Amino acid sequence: MLRTATKIVRDPEMALGVAIMAVLVLVAVAGPFIWRVDPLKVNVLNSLLPPSLDHPMGTDDVGRDVFARFIWGAQVSIGVALAVTVIGTLVGGVLGLIAGLLSGAVDLVLSRIMDAILAFPPLILAMAVAIGLGTGMVSAMVGVILAAIPWYFRLLRGEVLRLRHMMYVESARALGASNMRLIRHHILPQTVSTILIQASSVFSFSVMTMAALGFVGLGIQPPVPEWGTMITEGLAYALTGQWWLGLFPGLGIFALAVAGNVIADRLRDIYDPKSGLGIGG
Amino acid sequence: MGRFLAERLWSAVLTVLGASIIAFVVLRALPTDPARLIAGPFASEDVLAQVRAQMGLDKPLVTQYLDYIVNFFTGDWGFSYAAGKDVLPLVAERLPASGELALFAFTIAFSLAVLLTVLVSYSGSRVLDGLLRAASFVGVGVPPFWISLLFLMLFFETLGWFPGPVGRGPAPPHVITGFYTFDYLLAGDIRGALTALRHLALPGFALSLASFGYLIRLLRANLLDVVHEPFITVLHSKGVPAFSAHFRHILPNAFLPTITAGGLILAQLLGGSVLVEQIFTWPGIGTLVIDGITRQDYAVVQAFILLSAVIYIVVNFAVDLLYGWIDPRVRRS
Repeated sequence: MLRTATKIVRDPEMALGVAIMAVLVLVAVAGPFIWRVDPLKVNVLNSLLPPSLDHPMGTDDVGRDVFARFIWGAQVSIGVALAVTVIGTLVGGVLGLIAGLLSGAVDLVLSRIMDAILAFPPLILAMAVAIGLGTGMVSAMVGVILAAIPWYFRLLRGEVLRLRHMMYVESARALGASNMRLIRHHILPQTVSTILIQASSVFSFSVMTMAALGFVGLGIQPPVPEWGTMITEGLAYALTGQWWLGLFPGLGIFALAVAGNVIADRLRDIYDPKSGLGIGG
Repeated sequence: MGRFLAERLWSAVLTVLGASIIAFVVLRALPTDPARLIAGPFASEDVLAQVRAQMGLDKPLVTQYLDYIVNFFTGDWGFSYAAGKDVLPLVAERLPASGELALFAFTIAFSLAVLLTVLVSYSGSRVLDGLLRAASFVGVGVPPFWISLLFLMLFFETLGWFPGPVGRGPAPPHVITGFYTFDYLLAGDIRGALTALRHLALPGFALSLASFGYLIRLLRANLLDVVHEPFITVLHSKGVPAFSAHFRHILPNAFLPTITAGGLILAQLLGGSVLVEQIFTWPGIGTLVIDGITRQDYAVVQAFILLSAVIYIVVNFAVDLLYGWIDPRVRRS
């Protein structure tokens, strides 16, 4: 355990990923207290100003401060991605555990459903759910969670199938341990690293997909500043020279997604030096 | 092989059924009323009832589902109110544009990723390897719709090297394959083919980045795995030159997963270019779908969602067969 911790601290790429993540979290959490500008305040006289000391990221078409909106966008993006990751882990993970432990018909049915979900391109599936449930943040989140569930499912189901035939688990079962006890004390602790790795990938996936949904108007709705919708607004001015509108929110998404992927990748190498491949990222 | 084929086919059919149920449930049984979507927010109850009857929404859900899959597989994909046309011909006429873009993006992603990864792994340089990994992270992490925007600002607006968001450019005189580049070449018009390529360049590169990054990660991991296999150590100890060890023994053994992934990526690109197409006003399926969403043209969206899953399943099935054919171990397991 201690050795793993040292490895994580000493890994330069890991440090970079964590640093990027930390900066963005700091921007999201502390930003509003330091940059006390209202992200919704319209001032048409100040519209489309390029970046300056007053407006580090410029202003948009109705004179709102892009930096203030960026900060708010960071909160939204990180908050939503965390929620999606946690809920996806719980639902997908529990289903995977159930399928792995019970096997038989339950496993067969669940696996079939997951295969069917995996057949859809993730963004398309999330779009379909967002349309079906009605546009808005919650429907978009449900869509992204649904797309992420099968990844956790497959992972945990595989882990359980692998672990349940390990000698120590079989001995515990022979000693009369219940399924719950097996999961809690013998199987779950062994899967923590796998879950963590997958969760970091899903975090990145969620940031990107929520932004994509926002971009097509199916995600978080204006006036809430969300990075994806901010890029849509920037698109209208991309060819008239107002580059700052689209550039900064995209940089935010990019940085957050890369940080999540780098962390997932390094965790994987540190926990399991043999494999170097991610799923679902 | 016969049994293997039957098993895979059965599995593919079950997945199609599952996917069709999901598509149906997601779009039909959820709270949003499709009749309301089509008739608009101000439609009266009478009109809504009429639309519901027309779409068969007043029938029991099971009947609706059966109608839905039977219609889908018999080619009756409904009527697009926005375009005033049946959906199937609408999709069919958009398919070549998406196909050409997907194929272009795929060719770039696949060839560049394989070339760079193999060269870097052969060179054994740690610095190059670091750069390669950085490139893969950038590729996977960059939002395609954002990079499209940056490409437009840089290569069209500022530098003027490539055409702007105007779609595919002028159509060739005789449309044979529907792929403009090929059609111009078939007509012997090299300039025309180049123009078509220039229009493909920006959306194609924007679309290729994610697959490029993913393929690098995949192939690099597999190469690393094989390099450390005992049989490679044996080869080296027997004095096999590094070049032939690399290209005759390591690469072929590490390449299979990349082929599999390649097939699936191509399938996803066909359905996954939605946002990039929209930005470049590419007249493909993606733009059709986004228009369908914004105009609440329900039939188009519904057909597309199932279509994207079916394409994926069919390609997956084909790749499975190919895999079984190449590698006999897969057939037996």
